[in-house]
Amino acid sequence: MSGAQRCAIVGGGLAGLSAYATLRHGGLAAAEIAVFGTDPDPAAQWRRRAAAIRQRRMRSESDGHVAPASFPGLAVRSAARQSDTWPLILSLVDRYHPTVSEFLEHVAEVRERSGWDESFERHTVASVRAVDGGFAVDDAGVFAHVLLAPGHPGLALPGELAGDPRVVHAYEPHEYADEVEVLGAGMAAATEWLNALAAGASVVSVRRREPERRPLNLPRHLFTRRGLRAFHRTEADERALLLSGWSAPSYPPGREWDDPLEEAQKQGRFRVAAELDGASQIVAATGFRRGFQHDRLLARLVAEHHLDTVEGWIVLTPDSTVPALTDGDRTLSLAGVPGQWAFPAADTLAGAKYAARRFLRRVKACRSR
Amino acid sequence: MSFTLRGRLETRLAVSLLPLLAACAVALVLAEWWPLELAAIMIGVGVVLDSVVYHRTFPYQSGWLALPLGLLELGVVMAAVRGAHVGAPVDFALLFFGGAWLLGQVLVHGGFPLARLSYAEDGGELGKAGLATAAVAAAVFASAGGVAWATIPPTVHLSAGIHQGPIVLDHSQKLVGDAGAVVRGGIVITSDDVTVENLAVTGGEIGIEIDGAENVKIEHVRVSGTSLDAIQARRASVTIRDCLIHSPVGDYAQGIDISFGFDLPPSLIEGCTIVGGREGIVTHFSNVHIRSNHVSQTTLRALGLTEMSMVMVEGNDVQDSLGVGIYCGDYSECMISDNVVGGTRPDTASGDLTRLGFALVAHSGAKAEVEDNELSRNARAPKAFLGARITAG
Repeated sequence: MSGAQRCAIVGGGLAGLSAYATLRHGGLAAAEIAVFGTDPDPAAQWRRRAAAIRQRRMRSESDGHVAPASFPGLAVRSAARQSDTWPLILSLVDRYHPTVSEFLEHVAEVRERSGWDESFERHTVASVRAVDGGFAVDDAGVFAHVLLAPGHPGLALPGELAGDPRVVHAYEPHEYADEVEVLGAGMAAATEWLNALAAGASVVSVRRREPERRPLNLPRHLFTRRGLRAFHRTEADERALLLSGWSAPSYPPGREWDDPLEEAQKQGRFRVAAELDGASQIVAATGFRRGFQHDRLLARLVAEHHLDTVEGWIVLTPDSTVPALTDGDRTLSLAGVPGQWAFPAADTLAGAKYAARRFLRRVKACRSR
Repeated sequence: MSFTLRGRLETRLAVSLLPLLAACAVALVLAEWWPLELAAIMIGVGVVLDSVVYHRTFPYQSGWLALPLGLLELGVVMAAVRGAHVGAPVDFALLFFGGAWLLGQVLVHGGFPLARLSYAEDGGELGKAGLATAAVAAAVFASAGGVAWATIPPTVHLSAGIHQGPIVLDHSQKLVGDAGAVVRGGIVITSDDVTVENLAVTGGEIGIEIDGAENVKIEHVRVSGTSLDAIQARRASVTIRDCLIHSPVGDYAQGIDISFGFDLPPSLIEGCTIVGGREGIVTHFSNVHIRSNHVSQTTLRALGLTEMSMVMVEGNDVQDSLGVGIYCGDYSECMISDNVVGGTRPDTASGDLTRLGFALVAHSGAKAEVEDNELSRNARAPKAFLGARITAG
């Protein structure tokens, strides 16, 4: 660590890039920030998963990006690039969803423009410990302000399917057999239904509850202070209940989803079942493991510092910082999915920016900076 | 975007700050209050709608809603401007509102998110800047209100009963009659910025005489029994609303005469009822808007617009005139629309061929542009004489 480095971002994914770009926008030099990750391409992990489920468009809308300011959003950029007002019109009615390639181009642009590679170090962090003057990040140095964005702690797979050779997780590369059972009912599952049908397979949707239909991961007001105020006022048990409820599967409404399924149903190629039924391929669209205990870095942090937790969540203040380890001189912030205690949609791009902006505010307000 | 109530109000005040300062500048340049009154109405309507309607109705507000909500606000603002008799020209008011709305959209969607990264997720709240903006807006209004209060003309109440005139108003003031207040012998106004309200004037040659004064308002007055003009304005700019003029005395009495003020701000006569007299409303070399009046039983013509006047005549009801209903003469230019003219009778006793019961006459090089008038039971259709023209609008 150079003597000037004050901030560390642990996690080199999209949440890390969003935080980095926000810090740079806020006036921090590249030399003041260290980024620790496993791949210098911040979109590497996300790109693999999107490719696995053959995702073509983002669920997020114009402001689902990693740039520090909401404006200009991806709709404005697309309109300017193509000299076409259609993306703007779609955005006005909340119907603009950028393509995956547009989003990845944007990520590459932010990476380039922000100077991400100047600060990036290929290093898998095993430990973050509170020490005098901040936090020791392994033996890489002591930083006054640390933002942890470790990403999802691995893919979730039902225990009874472990070792079953027919099973592939939706986020792993795969092709489709003639008969496919898709386990789950969220966005990835819905995408897999259409993928498998398009590949000519017969599909059984195996689900234990009906998915909700909503445009974004969560109701819109939960992305802003209007909805968050009530959320932040809840007691711990109630908040955990709310978060569990909001993790129920959902995918967007719209004919682009419904029409192919109706058509396949008429042809006898799509049906819903409550149990697995012996198909030759099982696609587990079951998302990610949940809870800090599945992430070695977070589990160790909690254990070593006796942090408050509720079920699988680390208790955070509304600005996404760990209260026991944050004061006027140092900051420990969680971004991405571990930040859900502060922001229910923490695992979205909006959530990444929520944590990043508040982290920047803390850093700039720090007495010793 | 999901605005919090505080976010809505801070955003509203912040986007209104520049238009408010622009209104202050225009008010200073023109030495008029209406730009500030217009801005105050615009901001006030916005704040009320934000608090009472929008916040409850729209937990989430999609971008496209800005347009219909903007149109709704425009309608309410224009209605309030009209209802409060704010003297803002319509084209200026539309331009001002449109410019402010556009600026608001640019700031909400671009400027504020750039200046404050968490603007959207904070529900439109601007932090310390929001409080500062509110303070500045409040300071501007407080300053303007203070100046207005300090310079507001005094109000004089005339108690019920008969007051012997003539009453001379030679300095800026507001003369308000209590119920039953009557002035006998007339009122003379020689100062700018005079308002006369809720009075009955009776007798004398001229009921209310305005001479060389601007920004004079005559509202809710009743004038009767005068032998010349019920209301006479010479080289004046006057607004006359909701008056009642009747029972003239003698052959030369007429209703309202506005003359020789062509180079002054236009005058307005609106919502008056005039019964009898030679001419109901007459203009000479003046710029006048005559709107929504009822004029009946005149003996020369109901509306006489002459001597190079420029007059807009709309929505009036002219009935039972002798000779001529509406007369546009002597190189005047008259835009005559949406009026009802009925029962105009021929004046055969005069021997004048231009007075044979015409609903409308254009005379001596005048130009009358007519549109959507309803003419019925008149002895003659409209006609032009001596180089005058009547054209369809």
